[in-house]
Amino acid sequence: MNKVITINLGGNAYQLEEGGYDALRAYLETATAKLQGNPDRDEILSDIELAIAEKFRALLASHKTVVGTKEVAAVLAQMGPIEAEPGEAAGTSASGAGATSGANRQKTAGEERAAGSGGPPRRLYRIYEGAMISGVCNGIAAYVNIDPTLVRIGFVLLTFFWGTGLLVYVVMAILVPEARSPEEKAAASGFPATAQEFIRRAREGYYEAMKGFPDRKARREWQRRFKQEMRAHADQWRYSWHSYWAEHAPIHPGMGFTLPFLSLLQGAATVLWICAIISLLATGAVFGLALPANVPVWVAALLLLIAYGILVGPLKFARRACYYSLGRPHWAWSLAFLLDAVVWLAVVAALLWLAFHYLPELRDAVHTLPSLAHQAADDIRTWWHGK
Amino acid sequence: MGVNEKFSAIRKGLLEFLVLQIISAEKVYVADILKQLSVTEFATQEGTLYPLLSRLRREGLLDYEWKESEAGPPRKYYELTAKGREQLRETLEYWGQINGTVKKLGQK
Repeated sequence: MNKVITINLGGNAYQLEEGGYDALRAYLETATAKLQGNPDRDEILSDIELAIAEKFRALLASHKTVVGTKEVAAVLAQMGPIEAEPGEAAGTSASGAGATSGANRQKTAGEERAAGSGGPPRRLYRIYEGAMISGVCNGIAAYVNIDPTLVRIGFVLLTFFWGTGLLVYVVMAILVPEARSPEEKAAASGFPATAQEFIRRAREGYYEAMKGFPDRKARREWQRRFKQEMRAHADQWRYSWHSYWAEHAPIHPGMGFTLPFLSLLQGAATVLWICAIISLLATGAVFGLALPANVPVWVAALLLLIAYGILVGPLKFARRACYYSLGRPHWAWSLAFLLDAVVWLAVVAALLWLAFHYLPELRDAVHTLPSLAHQAADDIRTWWHGK
Repeated sequence: MGVNEKFSAIRKGLLEFLVLQIISAEKVYVADILKQLSVTEFATQEGTLYPLLSRLRREGLLDYEWKESEAGPPRKYYELTAKGREQLRETLEYWGQINGTVKKLGQK
């Protein structure tokens, strides 16, 4: 008795024996590796998938629904190895992922899977697909292989300790590079680029694929990756919307100068919102406006959140429009970002300075900070030893 | 080394023009091209043909359109562009010259 795995080829489901599935997977991974650097790679791969699908279809009939291992091998032999076109050969990219997939070409399906779990060396990148803000948490999550939500919660918690989380976040958002090329994206999560391609392809065969896993651990791992993939997929529309903007926005380089004002407005809204939340939690009223009776605090907090979203949404939109109106050149974006950040920092610094000079309570609080930190450290130490 | 192996590089280089010639006659899809080639010395496989076709399209020599097939998914039907026809004409002319040279040389 053989295990059967359902796959999706060119939008149709096919059932393969496990051995055949391995062979097909190895074939497609090899093809992906050989076409590395070919600008039409995805198109050629989908052509090849369609051609394989057509051959499978010819093999099947009403009483025969599963493609056997030997039949898959015959179809693949008929397809022949993928010939890289001159000048577009594999290995032209000097990156680690390219070299890895190039090396995979010589290996059998089994060895290839082993290589897949090793993957290219991991690097910390920001990953914009599926990100909430700038992809820092997403990148860390991929780097240490946990759910991004946990990382986000971690940052929020850290922010309660004198804003450490926020500070670290901002520094990382500036310093950590964004994963742009497929190789970088592969290095960010540690999966080889070809394996990611494969996951993308297998996406629609999720539940069938689940049945093919031998144990719970493998199944959980698959589930986790699948969720990540789906999240990225859900962001796809936003992504294409972005690129639509990038292509169709009217170009006014001067718009870059309105950016800092917009971000200041947004910052002000955020400060206002945080103050409102604090005042709500501390006094049960928003800036002296008492809540109507029998409205619980959490409903008020939720309403505040929604109000914040409504206020900030158009600002975000306008900022994005500003960026796109700068046109294509990358340096213009960097310049605008720099200007944005400098004005932001200057105003924040000015505000802090003012607060420091005119609010004695704040000054006292800052003076007691070191001793507070010592005390906290001591508390933790005694708690640790007491345990 | 037999004649067959000696000519493998030349066959590979000529394949591009034979594909253009096949497409010049009528709109064809990949299985048609493979079938026409299969009875010749230039028999080849999808693994070679798809990357080749994609390069020719990128060079602007041919184009394709999707057509529904009676059974199964839609297929890409290829046709030559004006540039492709021009290139084919030049190649055939050149090929005629080479043929003439091959026959002429060494004869007294």
